[in-house]
Amino acid sequence: MAEIVVQGGSLEASGPFDRARALSAFKLSDNLFYWTTRIAALSVLGILGGIILSLIVGAWPAMKTFGFEFLWTQRWAPSAQPEPVLGALGPIYGTLVTSFIAMLIAVPVGLGIAIFLTELCPQWLRRPIGIAIELLAGIPSIIYGMWGFFVLGPFLANTFQPLMIGLFEGVPVLGDIFAGPPSYLSLFNASLILAIMVLPFITAVSRDVFDTVPPVLKEAAYGVGCTTWEVVRSVVIPYTRVGVIGGVMLALGRALGETMAVTFIIGNSFRISSSIFAPGTTISAAIASEFAESDGLHQSSLILLGLLLFILTFFVLAAARLMLMRLDRKAGK
Amino acid sequence: MTTLAVDMPAVNPIYARRRRLDIVIRVLCLGAALFGVSWLALILFTLFWNGLAGLSLQVFTEMTPPPGSNSGGLLNAIVGSLLMTIIGVGIGAPLGMFAGTYMAEYGRYDRLTSVVRFINDILLSAPSIIIGLFVYGAVVVPMGGFSALAGSLALAVIVIPVVVRTTEDMLLLVPNPLREAASALGLPRSLVIRRVAYRAARAGIVTGMLLATARVAGETAPLLFTALSNQFWSLDLTSTMANLPVTINNFVQSPYDYWKQLAWAGALIITLAVLALNIGARILGAERTSK
Amino acid sequence: MNNLNVSVDLPHASAPPLSMPDAPPKITVRDLNFYYGQSKALKSINLTLGTNRVTAFIGPSGCGKSTLLRIFNRMYDLYPGQRADGQVLLDKTNILDPKLDLNLLRARIGMVFQKPTPFPMTIYENIAFGVRLYEKLSKSEMDERVEKALRGGALWDEVKDKLNASGLSLSGGQQQRLCIARTVAVRPEVILFDEPCSALDPISTAKIEELISELKEDYTIAIVTHNMQQAARVSDQTAFMYLGELVEFDQTSKIFTSPSDRRTQDYITGRFG
Repeated sequence: MAEIVVQGGSLEASGPFDRARALSAFKLSDNLFYWTTRIAALSVLGILGGIILSLIVGAWPAMKTFGFEFLWTQRWAPSAQPEPVLGALGPIYGTLVTSFIAMLIAVPVGLGIAIFLTELCPQWLRRPIGIAIELLAGIPSIIYGMWGFFVLGPFLANTFQPLMIGLFEGVPVLGDIFAGPPSYLSLFNASLILAIMVLPFITAVSRDVFDTVPPVLKEAAYGVGCTTWEVVRSVVIPYTRVGVIGGVMLALGRALGETMAVTFIIGNSFRISSSIFAPGTTISAAIASEFAESDGLHQSSLILLGLLLFILTFFVLAAARLMLMRLDRKAGK
Repeated sequence: MTTLAVDMPAVNPIYARRRRLDIVIRVLCLGAALFGVSWLALILFTLFWNGLAGLSLQVFTEMTPPPGSNSGGLLNAIVGSLLMTIIGVGIGAPLGMFAGTYMAEYGRYDRLTSVVRFINDILLSAPSIIIGLFVYGAVVVPMGGFSALAGSLALAVIVIPVVVRTTEDMLLLVPNPLREAASALGLPRSLVIRRVAYRAARAGIVTGMLLATARVAGETAPLLFTALSNQFWSLDLTSTMANLPVTINNFVQSPYDYWKQLAWAGALIITLAVLALNIGARILGAERTSK
Repeated sequence: MNNLNVSVDLPHASAPPLSMPDAPPKITVRDLNFYYGQSKALKSINLTLGTNRVTAFIGPSGCGKSTLLRIFNRMYDLYPGQRADGQVLLDKTNILDPKLDLNLLRARIGMVFQKPTPFPMTIYENIAFGVRLYEKLSKSEMDERVEKALRGGALWDEVKDKLNASGLSLSGGQQQRLCIARTVAVRPEVILFDEPCSALDPISTAKIEELISELKEDYTIAIVTHNMQQAARVSDQTAFMYLGELVEFDQTSKIFTSPSDRRTQDYITGRFG
């Protein structure tokens, strides 16, 4: 075989100018840019790590003092003598109950609106309503909280609450759930505000999810004579079930951690009452209203509450994302 | 709408039942839409009604009032909010953009990218009060006190996931042949990204930043114990700084009617700003799709 | 050039016959294999591209012709799981060398793609952009360079009054010629065309083909095409590929009049593909 000199590594400069030199000037900035982006990407993980770490460090004194008893102690007495007694049961109960009631109201209504938007609404109305809902999803939660405090609370205490209390008086169980007296500040009021707040969110996500159904599938169902509801029930919902559940859990994640919509209106009472018309508190409301003026074990306990909330929302959100990812894969995105 | 009888003279009972159920469900959906829309309309109506009543020139020219005072405005709070939002976005947006760039350009097929994407999506909807606790522990405690800087950093932490998400999505929409064409000219990878991919995705990336700004403009919870608030004019980043959300929070629960009125005015200002940013983002996004 | 006879005594007797071009080799491919993950997309390819010649690659979809083209400028490096072994020499440099500076390689080997890919910037910037990377030119030198490149791309007369318009505002055929001008402006030695006309109308196609014939005065050209008439019109040598193998490589006139392989004949007479 005849000789060929195979050069490795570098290409000799060719032409009237020195490309290699020109390019080497970019080497440094090229590398710098790569590492800048990579470090930025890693910093996202760093933030998560930082959140977990700072919460654990802050919560450590409370964890050491109260142990697991923290989870089922109802009493919250930061200035009790000789030792403060602090337990998370009240806020945990309030967080779960308000979110549960909020989802009970918001999910059917939100899905109803999404179905209305994708299947029933006349074409010309879809865009304006869709845009309005997306804009409403962006309104800061403190606005909802204010409105709840000034308008909804008084309204409910004067109309809906007395009605329900009267209706169920003496009925076992229900009579306890809807027990008086009516109050401006209550778990139920907070739940309703939460429901109104996550409503645009659920609607927007489910509408996007419903839009992933291939039109041919729907057309095929309409083609065999299905009514709109039958198409929704047997094509749209089965096809998007995972995505809808994902969207609902995403909304649940929001509701669990929502602070400002709830704080004004829940009453900040750590006592657990069987009535949903009684004041209560949530984890986030407790932190928001007490943290700035707290110290020592009291503050550490509030951070521990925060850690519990973070763990709770982390799992709910992780499950939601996994479900939405499954739907995306199905839609071939 | 035509009636059942006209449609089908000989009514098939099964079909009639299906048809009835369908109508019931349609009415329920319509009801849901009316129910939802009317709540939201009611909120906006109250906000505008009370907000416009509270709005006056002095809201924009005077400082927040000391306890008991029946005059004053929101000037220091508005400026403080603007400042903290700008710093927060100024820190968070570039960081988010770089992270999104890594995910879409360098590490598109990496494991690291899928992990970062998953974590980022969780941070995207993590409770903002937790972010406040994080910054309290990581910044306020070591610095020895509440500060506007801590508030800005808390906002930055909220901005990052939004920008990461939109940057990655928008860069993934840039067609690969465009990158190949730039590479084929002998462009180093970083220039392919900065000069070609960024330019092609510019509208989308800016949209994401506007949305992120809208998101933090009204954030209250993370500021409650990072920036705190005060009633004075201050541009000192190392001390507490007045800001709209926390001022609103304090005024809502105050006993003075004038303060409540100011709170409504502040709420209206925030809402209008957020709506303007959202609408701006939409217009920009629409331009992108029409191109 | 005495290294012309290199490829005559190839180690693989089974390798397809390799005709020598009537020009010194610019790119020499020896025993090239290419893999997408586990699947082998190219099997022991051997051929040479003659300097200042147009070499056409034809064959049915999926035969590997575009894959081969994208090896010449290592475009496959942008994607994971794709690798090549064997040897591809540009003059005397091994293109497949992992330590090779890809940006330098790509500055020497330009590429024009199937769909026009103007950058989202002005017409002027589309051209000046790549040049500026390697050379510091004054404003007037750059103007001159842009004009020359646009003339080289047969586009100057159509755009000289709107150099500041967006490259995206041009028609498809004009965009493709802009891409050619952009490639020429960097002064490569080889230009690769990956089905450059498949998205264009017949008139634009004719213009591009004319342009290719002019460009071979200065450049070595490789073109992948689906269109056999196009290959016959523009190329000096033609390679017919099938299922990842180089079936036949010869003077274009020979391939289209008396191909020596049965499969080549079947393909150019339209029996499959």
